[in-house]
Amino acid sequence: MMTRRHIRRIALYAGVILTCAFLVFPIYWLFITALSPPDALRALPPRLWPESPRWEVFSEVLRERPILLWLKNSVLAALGAVALSMAVAIPAGYALSRFRLRGGESLGLVILTAKMLPATLLVIPLFVIFRQLGLIGSLWSVILAHATLIVPFSTWMLKGYFDTIPQELEQAAMVDGCSPVGAMIRVILPVAAPGLAATALYGFILSWADYAYARTFLTSAQSNWTLNLGITTMRGEYISNWASISAACVLATIPVLFIYLFLERYLVGGMTAGAEK
Amino acid sequence: MRLPTLDLARPSRRHWLGYMLLAPAVLLMLAFVAYPLFVSLDISFQDVGIVRFDQPRKAFSTANYERLFASPDFWNAVIVTFKLVVVVTVSCFALGLGTALLVNNSFKGRPIARLLVALPWAIPEIIAVVIFAWLFDSSFGLINWILIKLNLIGSPVNWFSTPGAAFSAVATVMVWKGYPFVSIMALAGLQSIPDDFYNAAKVDGANAWQRFLYITIPSLMPILGVSMILTMLWVFRDFSIIYTLTGGGPLGSTETLSIMTYEQAFGFFRMGYASAVGIITLIICIVVSRLMLRRAPDNL
Repeated sequence: MMTRRHIRRIALYAGVILTCAFLVFPIYWLFITALSPPDALRALPPRLWPESPRWEVFSEVLRERPILLWLKNSVLAALGAVALSMAVAIPAGYALSRFRLRGGESLGLVILTAKMLPATLLVIPLFVIFRQLGLIGSLWSVILAHATLIVPFSTWMLKGYFDTIPQELEQAAMVDGCSPVGAMIRVILPVAAPGLAATALYGFILSWADYAYARTFLTSAQSNWTLNLGITTMRGEYISNWASISAACVLATIPVLFIYLFLERYLVGGMTAGAEK
Repeated sequence: MRLPTLDLARPSRRHWLGYMLLAPAVLLMLAFVAYPLFVSLDISFQDVGIVRFDQPRKAFSTANYERLFASPDFWNAVIVTFKLVVVVTVSCFALGLGTALLVNNSFKGRPIARLLVALPWAIPEIIAVVIFAWLFDSSFGLINWILIKLNLIGSPVNWFSTPGAAFSAVATVMVWKGYPFVSIMALAGLQSIPDDFYNAAKVDGANAWQRFLYITIPSLMPILGVSMILTMLWVFRDFSIIYTLTGGGPLGSTETLSIMTYEQAFGFFRMGYASAVGIITLIICIVVSRLMLRRAPDNL
């Protein structure tokens, strides 16, 4: 016999499954579109699973478009931006965690302000400055621009991780003759490694998602296009080949999906950066 | 690093070390955020097309701002931006909060459900646009087919050439991309409410609805306030989704202030005028978040 408890359980599972299905469906549809033969894409009613998935669509799109080059540029830009950001954010986060610095408490305000700056406003002077420096068309332009997005977040996240590590650790190292900087590098950074990794991956996602800066600084230099920029050029022709565009999108999505699986439990820290005291 | 004249290990010198460690980050932000911001403020007060540093600065003028406030396009962009901010923020909250409350129940497979409902957060905006551009395709898109099957529309809608439809399409993509943020935040908030609160209320005879109204909602308020400001700022500033989905069209129906800034700067090469639009956008963002912060002074 069905009790009220049973009915509630069933309603709960149905609700969860329906919500998940509804929200995740667009991503599923992207994969299906990539694998469908052209006539199946034009079939109504739409097919939820292609009868003969075309796995060769991936090798085709790699042949037709310089996807690997775009992928390489996106990876280079993201790695460069993350490396630069971490190089300045680790000491900054450490300083804010361990020293009482004047102005240190306004970091939250700096981040909140950074979140208010429209990229479309900042991109104008940056374009002028980068052209003066001869950086337009070079990956360095996006590396620098992405670093300005990543540094405030990562400084905040890193400060949080350093705060959880007891000060006694480096004090002990300094008693043993370590310099303050040596104590930070040899004692604190290894302990903070998971936090460093999460912060770096968060920065990687930020850089990977960028379109505005790449569109403005790199459009003129085809050999330096990032994946997002390249993908937008695949659309906009009179007839879009949805299967191959989707295949390119799948290739662009897979790296962030893997990062996301690792990063999920650290997400809240990155998202709330600057919005809490 | 060893500095012979400055013994940084000495307690009285320690704060020097702090500033030195902070300096690279501050310099980077000064050079590539603060200075550019100053440059764009300067540009906005010059009647200038393409700005070049090797040419003499144009005379100070408020022409851009005068033209701006007299321009119907600008006021259209202001209205479109506010409409989009309200529609997307409200929908993200309804969807995100609902999802969080649902997933917060205990059931088998909860970690997987958590992972799935927040997934769109990780999808780059450009990819989200491709997915929905195909779903909204006028001839073979899934959305038209479903709406026709449900008898909600008689014939296929041409989503990207009808103003109202294009606005709905843009809002849909932004809600899908933006709700996971709200649900992740709300879920974190829900999990920080101690069970004792609920148990105490049960003992006092509060029913489920009263517990929700008097415990869950007030406890969530701080985190919801933060999420709301951040969601609004994101919609205000978004460029990628709208620009690649509709380009601001048709007939300016999806042209927000961000799109207008970019189009003026890099479509028509009126950088002075574009900077003026951008500065106004920034001022609106600051004013709106200030107003909201004042309503919740303890939380931020």
